[in-house]
Amino acid sequence: MNTKGSKFRTFYLSLFFVILYVPVLSVVLYSFNKSSSTAQWTGFTFDWYLQLFNDRVIFESFKISMVVAIITSTVSAIIGTASAVISSYVSKKVESAINGVMFLPLIIPEVALGLSLLIFFTELNLTFGVPTLVIGHSLFCVPYIYFMVQLRLQEIDSSIIEAAKDLGASSWQIVKTIILPLVIPSTLTGSLLAFAMSLDDVIISTYMAGPTGTTLPVHIFSMMRTGVTPKVNALSTLFLLGTFLLIGLNQTIGRKGEKFYEEN
Amino acid sequence: MKEQLLSLKKVNKFYDEAHILKDISLDIKDGEFITLLGPSGCGKTTLLRCIAGLESIESGDILLNGESIKDLAPNKRNVNTVFQNYALFPHLTVFDNIAYGPRIKKVTKEDEIKVKVDEMLELVKMEGYGDRMPHQLSGGQRQRIAIARALINNPDILLLDEPLGALDLKLRKYMQTELALLQKQTKTTFIYVTHDQEEALNMSDRIVIMNEGRILQVGSPRDVYNNSNSLFVADFIGDRNIKEVEVVERKEDFCSVKLGKSIIDIRTDRSMVKPNECDGKVYLAIHMDKMKISYDKVDNSLYGEITFVHYAGSQIRTEVDVDGEKVTVIEYQNDYDNYRIGDKVYISWEENGAILLPKEDIEKRGN
Repeated sequence: MNTKGSKFRTFYLSLFFVILYVPVLSVVLYSFNKSSSTAQWTGFTFDWYLQLFNDRVIFESFKISMVVAIITSTVSAIIGTASAVISSYVSKKVESAINGVMFLPLIIPEVALGLSLLIFFTELNLTFGVPTLVIGHSLFCVPYIYFMVQLRLQEIDSSIIEAAKDLGASSWQIVKTIILPLVIPSTLTGSLLAFAMSLDDVIISTYMAGPTGTTLPVHIFSMMRTGVTPKVNALSTLFLLGTFLLIGLNQTIGRKGEKFYEEN
Repeated sequence: MKEQLLSLKKVNKFYDEAHILKDISLDIKDGEFITLLGPSGCGKTTLLRCIAGLESIESGDILLNGESIKDLAPNKRNVNTVFQNYALFPHLTVFDNIAYGPRIKKVTKEDEIKVKVDEMLELVKMEGYGDRMPHQLSGGQRQRIAIARALINNPDILLLDEPLGALDLKLRKYMQTELALLQKQTKTTFIYVTHDQEEALNMSDRIVIMNEGRILQVGSPRDVYNNSNSLFVADFIGDRNIKEVEVVERKEDFCSVKLGKSIIDIRTDRSMVKPNECDGKVYLAIHMDKMKISYDKVDNSLYGEITFVHYAGSQIRTEVDVDGEKVTVIEYQNDYDNYRIGDKVYISWEENGAILLPKEDIEKRGN
């Protein structure tokens, strides 16, 4: 009975991972395929990677993606953390109002969100490019950081704040010396998440890009229209590698932050 | 006589509808070790938080060195608190935790702060722990750091909110002695909140007994232990047999009361009830550990049958049925610890162990 159950579990889990990762693995594998077709394996090569590095357009769009992701994660970190800290100081009513506002961008379908931003920015006569991309991405990145920091804030023992007050700290000093240091790990993990989300966003970016702001995912998407070449595979592989690095970094920071709370 | 360090004047505190502190008045002298003792929910922690400034008061006044501090924010009052769960800053080292107060105030130079922190670490016997993080310390060690962090500010008063509550029994007893020593050493006024009477009796100069938002009795440990002024205090402090008895005769300094079929004399010089007030029914309270069992007849004693013997190592608790009333006697190991259930015995007591209390409680008499 028991072994039967565990066998089923093993089978189920294996199936899950096969379905999840085999396509990903094949993408990685075919990025090293000599033939430009994905139908058959004809030999090992780095050619597609070389082509990739020599492609000016891809390099430009990669640069835009990075710039947008860096600015977005920074801006979102500041706005998200500040809003979360502020929300802990206001009345319950105002706090739930802020929560509601933060939830909206997560609920509204991205297609609709992108479209409304497009119309709004056109009305404002804004030039589409990096700034509009940053605003668009921040819209859905801020809430993640906000909620992550808020969760952390709720974990902080209120007597720690009282102790600081008792020892002579003003409200601002408490924020600076106690609250911020305690939530920074959450802010960092949140902004890494924001970085990753900004980096691989397609929908909002498509609306916000304009002629000068084609991000890498948008470019990959357009490359697909002319058929898949192993160059796309190579690009995806690098993207994957970058994402894994980010996740690893995220985990390390997260674990460091956890330590403070272990016994509190 | 020195001026009062802290004066509470008719302090009242409400949470919504609930009246948490009712007309609390109390004077505390410099250098005293005062304990606020009472069951959970009696308002003792709230009173402490009002003194610290973490709670506001609705009416009355709090004077520190003669000046009202009731409207001052906690960071402007020269009192510091040791919290029940220590409340150390988890992201700061032990050193930085202790240095927090002086650094925030920005009046002391960093090299002076270092000297002071080292002094504090030595005071609480935690030298060499400056670089540790709070989560690397045991409960007792954290407690010491919390005390050091508060004391470095040279507070007029150190407020301690059940600081030993989370420690195990052995460590708690050890820390009691340490705390009392520390208080003598630093000559700082301590206001200590606890629900543990042993802690209170052990450490305090004076004990303030509270119940339901009121102060019932203020006195030295010996005073509140022996001369409890109300039924609540008598029941709360120490282990006592408390029985409703009938007054049969009133003399100048004692009353004769009837418990079961026995008529016994109780001296009234320590009691709240004076002979001329003895009227019908009163409460008799006798410390269990000031009673003695004997097989031979003794004057002024109760007579009954042993119904149960609890052997608890150093002490023996014997339950005796006195005409239907259960009387418990606590004796320490002696030669006569072979009581058998069913034995007929006499129970006597030390005179200072017995008091008479009025039927209605002191608070209801509007005292």
